[in-house]
Amino acid sequence: MRTGIVTGVLAALIAIVLLAGQNVESGPNPFVVVGIVNGAVFGLVALGLVIVYKGTRVFNFAQAEFGTIAAYLLFVSLEKWDLPYAAGVVVALVLTVVLGLGMERIFIRPLLNAPRVTLLVGTIAMSLLAIGLEILIFKIEPENLRPIISSAKANGDPAGLKIFDSIVSPQSLLTIGVLVALGIILAYFFSRTDLGLAVLATSQDAFATRVVGIGVERMSMFIWGSAAFFGAVAGILFVPTIGLLVPGVMTSNVLIPAFAGAVLGGMTSLPGAFVGGIVIGLVQALAAWAGGHYTFGVDQAGVPEIIGSIIPGIEQVTVLLVLLVVLLARPQGLLGRET
Amino acid sequence: MGAVLEVKDMGIRFGGLVALDGVNIDVPEWEIVGLIGPNGAGKTTLFNCVMGLYQPNNGTVQYRGRDISLLPTHRKVALGIGRTWQNIGLVRELSVLENLLLAQHPRIRYGALAAIFGSPSTFLEERRLRANAMEVLDFLGLAHLADSKLDGLPYGTLKLIEIGTVLATDPDVVLLDEPSSGMGPDEAHAFGERLIRLRQELNLTVLMIEHHVPLVTEVCDYVYVLNFGKVLTHGKPKEVQRHPEVIAAYLGGDVEADTSEEPADATS
Amino acid sequence: MSAGAETLQAPVATPDASGRWRPSTQGWVARGLVATILVGLLLLWILPSKNLAADRISNAVIFAIIGLSLNIVMGYTGQVSLGHHAFVGIGAFASAYYVTEKAHCTEASCSMPAFFTGVFIAIAIGAISAGILGLIALRIKGLYLALITLTYGFVAVNSIFEIQFLTRGGSGMPAPRPEEFASDRSYMFLCIAILGLLLFIDWRLVSSKVGRAILAVKHSESVAATYAVNVTNYKVFAFMLSGAFAGLAGALFAHRRTIVVGVDFTFQIALLWVLMVVVGGLGKRLGVVIGSMFFALFPFLVTKIGPLDHFIRNTMERDPDEFTLVMGPLLALLTLVQFKGGIAEQISPITRWLSGQRFSMHPEGHKPKEPGGLKKKLRGKENTGSATAANAAASSASSPSGNPDTSGAGAEPAAESSGSIEAKLRKGVK
Repeated sequence: MRTGIVTGVLAALIAIVLLAGQNVESGPNPFVVVGIVNGAVFGLVALGLVIVYKGTRVFNFAQAEFGTIAAYLLFVSLEKWDLPYAAGVVVALVLTVVLGLGMERIFIRPLLNAPRVTLLVGTIAMSLLAIGLEILIFKIEPENLRPIISSAKANGDPAGLKIFDSIVSPQSLLTIGVLVALGIILAYFFSRTDLGLAVLATSQDAFATRVVGIGVERMSMFIWGSAAFFGAVAGILFVPTIGLLVPGVMTSNVLIPAFAGAVLGGMTSLPGAFVGGIVIGLVQALAAWAGGHYTFGVDQAGVPEIIGSIIPGIEQVTVLLVLLVVLLARPQGLLGRET
Repeated sequence: MGAVLEVKDMGIRFGGLVALDGVNIDVPEWEIVGLIGPNGAGKTTLFNCVMGLYQPNNGTVQYRGRDISLLPTHRKVALGIGRTWQNIGLVRELSVLENLLLAQHPRIRYGALAAIFGSPSTFLEERRLRANAMEVLDFLGLAHLADSKLDGLPYGTLKLIEIGTVLATDPDVVLLDEPSSGMGPDEAHAFGERLIRLRQELNLTVLMIEHHVPLVTEVCDYVYVLNFGKVLTHGKPKEVQRHPEVIAAYLGGDVEADTSEEPADATS
Repeated sequence: MSAGAETLQAPVATPDASGRWRPSTQGWVARGLVATILVGLLLLWILPSKNLAADRISNAVIFAIIGLSLNIVMGYTGQVSLGHHAFVGIGAFASAYYVTEKAHCTEASCSMPAFFTGVFIAIAIGAISAGILGLIALRIKGLYLALITLTYGFVAVNSIFEIQFLTRGGSGMPAPRPEEFASDRSYMFLCIAILGLLLFIDWRLVSSKVGRAILAVKHSESVAATYAVNVTNYKVFAFMLSGAFAGLAGALFAHRRTIVVGVDFTFQIALLWVLMVVVGGLGKRLGVVIGSMFFALFPFLVTKIGPLDHFIRNTMERDPDEFTLVMGPLLALLTLVQFKGGIAEQISPITRWLSGQRFSMHPEGHKPKEPGGLKKKLRGKENTGSATAANAAASSASSPSGNPDTSGAGAEPAAESSGSIEAKLRKGVK
C-alpha cells in the first residue's frame, strides 16, 4: 500500500518535472497544466467509478454520461430558462442525482443479485439510452456551454493564473480545487462516518451486511446517487473547457481515461482514483504534446514527419498501452490492495 | 510392482501459509489409495498440484516413471489421469449427454476446422462418441437423463454423472475428491461396491479423498493421512485407524464438518 | 451393476424412462408443414425485394452476421466485447483498400476474384486482430476485458481509421462491387448465402467438440482442463472465429455502401450490437439473428406505420434512425430486468417443438415432475438470472488476472450446481 502510494506520486512527479523541463516552446497551454486539469476531470469521474465498484462490484459504463446529462441540463437552465449560473448548476446537479436515483430504482435494483456481467450490460444500456435521448432531444449539432467564470476579463485579456508562461483559466483552477475538496471529503467520509463505513461493508459482503441490518437497497441508492453527483460535477466543469456540447461528449472524451485512472489506482482506492486520474491526464497530455512536437523520419516530400501524423490518436493509443501494462503487470493497480 | 503415480516431496505455499510440505505419496497399480485428513489439511490442494492447476513450489509428480510435473493439466488428462471435483466438475451449460461428449475430448479424432466446416467425418465421429456416452450412461443407470440439463438434478445424481464423465476421459488412474459427499450411509456403501467393481472391470487405479470412514476402511487398500500439509502417517486402513495421532488429529475431531470448503481453496 | 445404480440413482420419476421422446410420423409431418410455412412467408417477403428494400435486407443480414460474431464472444466464451466496431471496421477498410488500391478496381470494373480476395483478406485480418484480443483475454477477464475492448475500439476509431493511406481520411475509401453483384438485389442474395454458411458453421461449432470445449472453458477453466481441453487454444480460437465473422461482416458492409468512412464505426454502434445480441438471447443463434435483424430494420419498420412516421419526421423533425439508439437500450434493459433470455427464450416453445421435442411453455422444455418443489423453485430462479450472462466471466470478474487458481479450483463449481441453501446464499452475494 505504502510503496504503491510512493510509486504513484513519484511517477507523477517525474512526469511533471520531465515535461516542465522540456517545455521549450511553450504554447498558450503547456501540457503539464492541460494534463493536470484534464486529469482532475478524469479523477472526478474515476471517483464515481470507484464508489460504484466498491459498492456493487460493477464497472459503471454510464458514469461519464451523467456528466453529459448534467451539462445539457445546465445548458437548458442557462439558455432556455435564463437562470443565473449558480441556480443552473444546482438545478443540473439535483436533477442528475434524481435521474441517477431513478435509474438505480428501475434498472439497477432488479439486477443487484444478477451476475456482474449482466449488470455491466445494464450500465451500457443506460449509457446508450442517455446518448440516444440526448440525440433525440438536442440533435447532433453541438451547443456551446459557457464556463462558470468567464475566461476573458472585461478588457478582453484572458483571465486566470499565469503558470509556465501560460494562463490557466479560472474554470481549470476551479476543477482542480473541486477535485481536491471532494477527495478530502470522501476520504473523511469513508474512514470516519458510519454511513461511509457501511458502504464499505456492503462492498465487502452484501449478505453479511443484510444480516447485521444495513439495507443493501438503501446502500445501492446512496452509491448511485453519489456516482451521479460526481459525474455531474465533472460534466459541468469539463464541458465548458472544451466548449462543445454534443451527445455522448463525456463518454467519448472522459470515460476511458477515467477508467484507466481508476484501474491505475487499483479500482477500489479513492486516493488511487484521484492520483490515477491525474497521472493519466499527464500521460495523455505528454503523448499529445510529443506527438505534435517530435518528428520521426521524413515523408515523401522530404519534410520531417511529426509523430502525431504517423500515429493518429496518439493519446488514445497511450491510454490503451497504460491500461494493458497495468492490467497485465500489476492488476491490483498502483494503490490497490491484493485481495 | 511399480507405482502408477508417485508424488515426491510436494510443497506449496500461499503467501505465508504452508499448505503442503514435503508430501510423498505412492499410488501402486490397481490399488485404491485413500487420502484422509481434517479440513484444511491440504488434500484438495495436493490434487490441484498433481493436476498442474496449482504450481507447487517444489516436488515432482511421476506417472509410470515419467516426470510429468511440468505438463499442463490438459496434457496430463490426455495421458490418462482423471480427476473429479469436491463440488462437481460438470459444465452446467451442457446437457448430461453433452457433458459425457465433452469428457471424451482427448480421444476425438477430428480437427477444429474440420468440425466447424462440417466435414463428414465429424458426423461419423460424433455418432461414435454418442454411442460411447450412452454406453457409460447405461452403465450408470442414467440413460433416461441423457437430454436433461444439469440444473435440477439431485446432488447424488450429479456426483454419479461426474464419475461417468471421468470414466469417459478413459483414465488409467483417477483422482476422486470426496466422491461420497452428499450421500447417505447406504448410498455411500453402494458407491464403495460400485467403485470396487469399476476397478475390476476397467483396470482403474484410484487415489481418493474421502471423509466417510466406513467407506475408506471398506474400499481402500492403503491410506495416507494428511495433517497441516504433511503426511502424518500411512498404512493399511485398519492400522491407520488405530494410530493414536490420527485419532487425535482427525477421527477424534469434528468428522461432521466434512461438507465445508477446504481453507486451502479459500486462500487462493 | 444395476443394484448399485438403483440405490444411487436419485428418485426421479420418468414416464419415458425407456429412452428419449420422439414425435410420431404425423408429428414430424406437422412440424415440417409449420416450418415450410414459416420459411415460405420469409421468402415471400424477401424474394420480391428490390433496390432500397433489398439494400435494407442486406444491412439487416450484415447485422445478423455481426450478431453471430458477438455471440461467439459473449454467448460462448462469456466475455463482453465493447469494441467490435474495431474488427468490423478493420475488415471493411481492409477489403476496400485491397479492392481499390491493390486490385485497382473502380465502380465500373471490379472482377469477382478481386472482390473475393478482398473479402478473404478482411476475414484474415479480422481473425488476427481478434486473436490478439484473445491472447489478452487469457490474462484479463470479465469487466477488465470489457474495458480493454472498449478502449481498443476507441483506439481503432481515433487511430487506425485515421491512417491516411488505408482510409483516405474523412472522404472515405471506395469499395466497388463486382458486376455480378452490382444490383442491390443480387448483393442481398450474396449476403443471405453468406449468412446461411455462417449459421451452418455456428451450428457445427456448437454441436462438435469445439463448442463443448469453449462452453466448458466459459464455465470453469480448471474443469475444462480436467477434460483435457487446451484452454489457451480454444479461447484464442473462439476469439479468432468471432473476429473472422466480424471481418467478413465488415467487408460486406463496405461493399454494400460501396464506400467506407471511419465515422460509420462509432462506439455507439458497437454498444448497440452488444445490446442487440442480449435482446436476441445470448448463446442462441436463431434469437441472435432475429434480434440483430430487428435492430437493423427498426427504423424501416417505424416508417411503415404511417402516423408514427409522420409524427417522427414532421412533428418532431427527427430521423427514424435516431430512435434505434433509444429503443435498443430500452429493449435491452427490459430483457435484462423482465424477459431474461431475450427473444430466443420467448420463441423457445416453437423452436423446441420444431426440433422434435414435445410442446411445452416451460423455459427448460418438457420435464418430468420432480420432488422438492421449493428447491426447484429456488434453482429455477437462479438459473434464469444467469441466462443473460456468463457465469465464468462473472465469477472471475473481480480478478483481472484470473489464473486457474482463482477461477475455479475446488470451490467454484460448488456454488453452481450443489443446490444447497448455503451455496445459494453465497452465490447471491458474489
